[in-house]
Amino acid sequence: MAYMLFVAEPRGQRAERTEEEGRALYARMQRYADDLKARGVLRAYSSLKSDADGQRLQIRAGKRSLRDGPFAEAREMIGGFFLVDCGTREEAVELAALCPAAEWATMEVRETGPCYLG
Amino acid sequence: MATADTHRTIEAVWKIEAPRLIAGLARMLRDVGQAEDLAQEALVVALERWPVDGVPDNPGAWLMTTAKRRAIDLIRHHKMRDDKQAALEYELETEAMTHAPDHADALDDDIGDDLLRLIFTACHPVLGRDMQVALTLRMLGGLTTPEIARAFLVPEATVAQRIVRAKRTLAAKHVPFEVPRGGELAPRLASVLEVVYLIFNEGYTATAGADWARPVLCEEAMRLGRVLAGLAPREPEVHGLLALMEIQASRLHARTAADGTPILLLDQDRSRWDRLLIRLGLAGLERAGKLGGADGNYALQAAIAACHARALHAGDTDWAKIASLYARLAEMAPSPVVELNRAVAVAMAEGPQAGLELVDALRSERALANYHLLPSVRGDLLFKLGRRDEARVEFERAAALTDNAREAELLRRRAAVCSDQ
Repeated sequence: MAYMLFVAEPRGQRAERTEEEGRALYARMQRYADDLKARGVLRAYSSLKSDADGQRLQIRAGKRSLRDGPFAEAREMIGGFFLVDCGTREEAVELAALCPAAEWATMEVRETGPCYLG
Repeated sequence: MATADTHRTIEAVWKIEAPRLIAGLARMLRDVGQAEDLAQEALVVALERWPVDGVPDNPGAWLMTTAKRRAIDLIRHHKMRDDKQAALEYELETEAMTHAPDHADALDDDIGDDLLRLIFTACHPVLGRDMQVALTLRMLGGLTTPEIARAFLVPEATVAQRIVRAKRTLAAKHVPFEVPRGGELAPRLASVLEVVYLIFNEGYTATAGADWARPVLCEEAMRLGRVLAGLAPREPEVHGLLALMEIQASRLHARTAADGTPILLLDQDRSRWDRLLIRLGLAGLERAGKLGGADGNYALQAAIAACHARALHAGDTDWAKIASLYARLAEMAPSPVVELNRAVAVAMAEGPQAGLELVDALRSERALANYHLLPSVRGDLLFKLGRRDEARVEFERAAALTDNAREAELLRRRAAVCSDQ
């Protein structure tokens, strides 16, 4: 079964770090990804640039609206993801618990599957 | 946390950590069987303590420390003060001094090598195939004996006995805990890949019983494949096998209807195929080719699976290419089963009559005498040629030969269709 582990970061947290601190955390996350690879569970992963560079698109009644980030109404920002294969939700949670970002952000564990099932 | 929740957490931690735990202990003790026993003992301690004390922050490290302590106790008990104990005590001390809060920091560089040694030991040729499979699932998959028994539909006692005998054999034959080198590597690696693929296939097409597939075995095999690909990245057949498993597994959800009835490849809803697994598989296949392994047994099978994966509609399938890949496969590793598959591809590319001629040439093959797919394929081709009475006989024969209840039902339905009109 595939699970998506999202890193949900508190808004503005990245700005509080120096580049050096950011790089050190990035290196720890990279080692975490290497660890998941060595366990044979990692399907795909990436960190994401800040949502300040992101855009939000909607089409309503055929009309298209495009809004530039940052999206101040959200308290958290998706900062990266890991798509892992494992047997149970509990295993996915334990893999998330190994992620260094659990210390400064929130790990959200979601099973992949059809959205119409609720 | 409720006790039931803690137990589920322990189970999950065990699945994730068991291989490293056993591999690390085996390196220190130079005894895989003893390492597995100690890891199991650490698990028992966790089952006693965690529901009371709570799950530790770093459960993997906790299990390792507990197992090492018990290893020292064991050695002391046997008054075998030697290098082993000194090494363990040293590791425990240094660990306490340099205990890193970050799990990744604490990652031992040796862990990859240990896992690789463990895989090669579990699949060592002194062990019978059944023992290799049981030991691999137990030590590298963290599966319990009842889980392995359920997956292979054999009694628990049988699996338990296989594991005990496997450990005893490894000890009795003094099998070293190491990765084979030189000329020994190729045949040993082939044996490992066979075990992994057998586990996958057992999950993919359950050979017996009511369930068409047991996905947990497929997942476990793919996980082992990815571990191997990471540990032995220069071996083309490792990438070939992983690609083959990923492309086949991409169809897992499309292979059965809601009621569990199997859906054949050409009738599947291809929008339900897992595109990410297909992409991973195609990339792996390319890697195998770049490493000079395009003609490897698994790479060729993966290339055939890729022809299906690339076709968005069944009608777009490049059957001529599939037929030529089967011909290549038959050259590299001649087998009547490959020949039968080639006949199917030729029938699709050139028409049922051309396929039937190849199938008829196989009817005297003794290896296929009880193989249900021979009459099943023959029935299909006869049906397409309008020879319905002959087709019905073949479908009925095929239904009688298969052990898979679902497949037998499908074949009987096809036989019934032949009698219609």
